[in-house]
Amino acid sequence: MQEYKRITITKEEVIPLAEKMRADGVTLAMIHAHFEDDGKPVVCYEYQVGTGIESYAVEGESVLPDISPIYDLGAEWPEREINELMGLVFEGLDTSERLFLPDTMFEGQGHILVTPMDKLIREAHGEVDAQ
Amino acid sequence: MSYIVPIGPYHPALEEPVHARLFVEGEEIKDAKVYIGYNHRGIEKLAQQKNYIQTLVMVERVCGICSHSHAFTYAMACEAIAKMNVPKRGQYIRVIVAELERLHSHYLWLGIALHLIGHDSLFMHSWDDREAIMDILEEITGNRVNYGMITIGGARRDISDETRKNVLEMLDKIEKSMNVIKDMLLSDKTVALRTQGVGILTKEDAIRIGAVGPQARASNWAIDVRKDAPYSSYEDFDFNVAVWDSCDVFSRVVIRVLENFESIKIIRQALDMLPSGPINLGLSRIPKIPAGEYMIRYEAPRGQLCYKVVSNGGEFNKRVSIHVPTFRNAPTVPTMLRGNSVADAGLIVASIDPCFSCMDR
Repeated sequence: MQEYKRITITKEEVIPLAEKMRADGVTLAMIHAHFEDDGKPVVCYEYQVGTGIESYAVEGESVLPDISPIYDLGAEWPEREINELMGLVFEGLDTSERLFLPDTMFEGQGHILVTPMDKLIREAHGEVDAQ
Repeated sequence: MSYIVPIGPYHPALEEPVHARLFVEGEEIKDAKVYIGYNHRGIEKLAQQKNYIQTLVMVERVCGICSHSHAFTYAMACEAIAKMNVPKRGQYIRVIVAELERLHSHYLWLGIALHLIGHDSLFMHSWDDREAIMDILEEITGNRVNYGMITIGGARRDISDETRKNVLEMLDKIEKSMNVIKDMLLSDKTVALRTQGVGILTKEDAIRIGAVGPQARASNWAIDVRKDAPYSSYEDFDFNVAVWDSCDVFSRVVIRVLENFESIKIIRQALDMLPSGPINLGLSRIPKIPAGEYMIRYEAPRGQLCYKVVSNGGEFNKRVSIHVPTFRNAPTVPTMLRGNSVADAGLIVASIDPCFSCMDR
């Protein structure tokens, strides 16, 4: 079985870590994000180290540094995806165009992974949200 | 004079919708931009409202070609969180179906590539072989597209002695045929003229952008999750990671032919060494996945597929992140297009074996 190790870091450590990993020839497998039950965002930088994954998690930060200057498009697209679907911000990342959803859908807003499904359905049908 | 040539989102050279804008001067492509999202279905969102068995069924429908890969990887992530040990026979059966899926996926792409190149006789020849693989998949799983072979804790259906014999016979047939296709591809002038030196992606660019799977191996970068981080008993099998160093469309054609031989080798070994015993853990109810998280890497036909599952111990997934190979390979397209002619754009885009259905989710 592939090993999986989670390590908590601060957002100030994200760039130095990415630079070190890139210099060591380590591949960035993915950037993952989710919200804890208390609403705290968690962003994980998943690096392929040896036969396993080292997951470096930044907890409680909704604004993070952009590592696409280090990992190129391998980081840019995942960052844009997280920004578009979850509303987290990567400082310096060009988000002038959406990656997945049409630019006009939900008036350019609507982070669908964090919006309740019933609200999405109402908005998709053009109904006024009573809330 | 410079101008912009739009391709897609719907175009005869594309299996699925994607939009590319080519910035050209005369016939030469100076730059390109790729726009995705035309197949976005919100599957990760839906996964947050489904239990683990419902999600297993749903993720199998992320893609019509590598459906087994999605169910397989999701199940492995859940099993890792729950610390389940899948019986060895179940692991081998999963591998057999996975390699048959790789074979039919590579044959599918080969046929499309040959059609785009203009070699329709080889296109039909390769799809004739693919049909035999689809028939065997149907015999093993009962289905030709979404196989439904995976359950959390193992495989759903066993492989009988008669089916085992039929699979081996089919492999003998397509191996002979694959040798003919390989010889023709390596010597055919039409294929060489359309593919050699076209759509170059150097190893340095592949590493810089983070290409995966056959796209990386065709740029002489020997990465393969089955070797680098084995799962489901892949360490038991003797096979090679095929690489080719011409870094062009020709290289991507050859690499898939070579990989077919390796898949045949793995299936034969798995059938020869198929252990006795149960095929799954016999979980009769929806499995309870404790709080935790795990990320699993899997070598899908198009490259590395990653699933990260986060559970809070409840009925539904807290979060399922799906990171597919085309999401890693599509960003290489503008690099490959630069300096080529507009006439080759369709073939170059197709050379990554794109699956926009997977990528958009």
